[in-house]
Amino acid sequence: MTRRLWARIGLYLTLGLILLIAIFPFWWMINTSLKQQADIFGGVTLYPHNPTTANYSRLFNTYHFAEYLQNSILIVTVSVAVSLVLGTLAAYPLARFHLRFGLNQSALVVALLVRMLPAILLVIPFYIMLGKWGLLNTRMGLILIYSCLNTSFVIWMMQSFLAEIPRDIEEAAMVDGDSRLTALRRVVLPLAAPGLAATAIFSVIATYNDFLLALSLTSTPTAQTVPVGVSTLIGKIQIEYGPMAAAGVVGAVPIVIFALLVQRHFVRGLTLGAVK
Amino acid sequence: MLLPAGIALALVSIYPLFYGVRASFTHYLYGRDLGFDGLTNYRIIWNDTFFRSAMLTTLKYVVCTVSIETVLGLGLALLVSREIKYAGPIRVGLILPMTIAPVVVGVMWRLLYDSGVGVVNPIYEFFGLGPPDLLAHNNTAFAAVVLVDIWEWTPLIFLIILAGLQSLPEEPLEAARVDGAGRLRLFFDHTLPQLRSVLLVAVVLRTIDAVGTFDQIYVLTKGGPGDATRVISIYAYNTAFLFTQFGQAAAMLVCLLVMLMLLMIVAVRLLRRVAA
Repeated sequence: MTRRLWARIGLYLTLGLILLIAIFPFWWMINTSLKQQADIFGGVTLYPHNPTTANYSRLFNTYHFAEYLQNSILIVTVSVAVSLVLGTLAAYPLARFHLRFGLNQSALVVALLVRMLPAILLVIPFYIMLGKWGLLNTRMGLILIYSCLNTSFVIWMMQSFLAEIPRDIEEAAMVDGDSRLTALRRVVLPLAAPGLAATAIFSVIATYNDFLLALSLTSTPTAQTVPVGVSTLIGKIQIEYGPMAAAGVVGAVPIVIFALLVQRHFVRGLTLGAVK
Repeated sequence: MLLPAGIALALVSIYPLFYGVRASFTHYLYGRDLGFDGLTNYRIIWNDTFFRSAMLTTLKYVVCTVSIETVLGLGLALLVSREIKYAGPIRVGLILPMTIAPVVVGVMWRLLYDSGVGVVNPIYEFFGLGPPDLLAHNNTAFAAVVLVDIWEWTPLIFLIILAGLQSLPEEPLEAARVDGAGRLRLFFDHTLPQLRSVLLVAVVLRTIDAVGTFDQIYVLTKGGPGDATRVISIYAYNTAFLFTQFGQAAAMLVCLLVMLMLLMIVAVRLLRRVAA
């Protein structure tokens, strides 16, 4: 009995330690972002003794963060909406019909490959393409790229969610006089809503977090996004640690909220559906 | 219904790959396209010692991060494989590091590593050691960057394996235990073989991701000091956007793509099999 008790205590101590390691960097960033300039360099203190929001106001007043945030919100909203429509429309026939030329298989393989390609492999061609079309350093350019890239993820996720919905339900709706598209809209999509929401949130997270593409394809605050804004605080001769910490918090907060909403689906999203 | 998505996918796969391959055969001067140039770019990178060392650094980085993360993740998952209380909060805490933007991860760890603001130097000093300034020295910078990757991604492997463990049937394990098999025998004869496909998915996906690592390293060290942390994505990025040698950078990325292709085909086969 005592041995089992000790084993349990050991287990929870280990878990507590792991959790502490996972969380502490977050706390340290928040802590630093709320400190006065002098206190940041004043030795290790685990909470801000004289808390201030000065770092945040400097971020928005002198470092263009209002613009970065606006750009990010616009780009993420539009491109996720576009890719959800395109991706779901394509996922539906892939999940339901037996298409010619082995299209079901090959379309999914292409979607997967696009999803897995590291951004660095695409960034130079994208730069050349957007340059040709006059879309470098525009929000339109980023929206175009993100919409298309994200469509691959939506196709892959949605076809697995749609395949889980029994056919009978929509066939019943079609017997009642619905066309296939109205059946999709009225019957199938409401049933697939949780999957659609999870897919949407994953897309938001991936798009909002992207750095390399936004860094290479934009150059001024008129089109730059939050992660690029965060990185501009570093390259200077002297690092502004206070605003940098505040920028990190601004970059993390929306994503943490979204991530909490889909935590149950999280592993499924990151492993592309391999683990449910 | 498939057509719009098909166009979107082509726009971010076949089209850029075509441009990328063409760029690798093109001579660029200050970013201007000066026409076909045969194999010159490939000859240049073949003789480029920095390219070779960047490839080696990438290999070292991938092997270190993926192997340590797999061992740690597997160990932790086995430790907590039984039902535990507070599973919800623990999962949330572990998910956080991998949801937020890698750029923000980089910021958080600079706030921990950097002298004057961080906690790493004071911890060393507490034990009577000199301040290590981890990011400022060749050997320690590489280890520091690897550590950040481990912090960020071990939870993913942990959660994947945990999901795998909890889906395993209990009976064969019980039977073997009744037959007197020891803990190690149970693990190697029963648990590990059954986990194989899940484990493979985790390792292959993580490897593909690790090869393309850019954001955190860019924020933490920009590839320095010297070339200690200059992985291929950083070097290709610098070649293209700092030195405007698009042709050479494209040639490097074509080489990388050829090497990655094999891994991605394995990944696709695995994912399709596990998902089916």
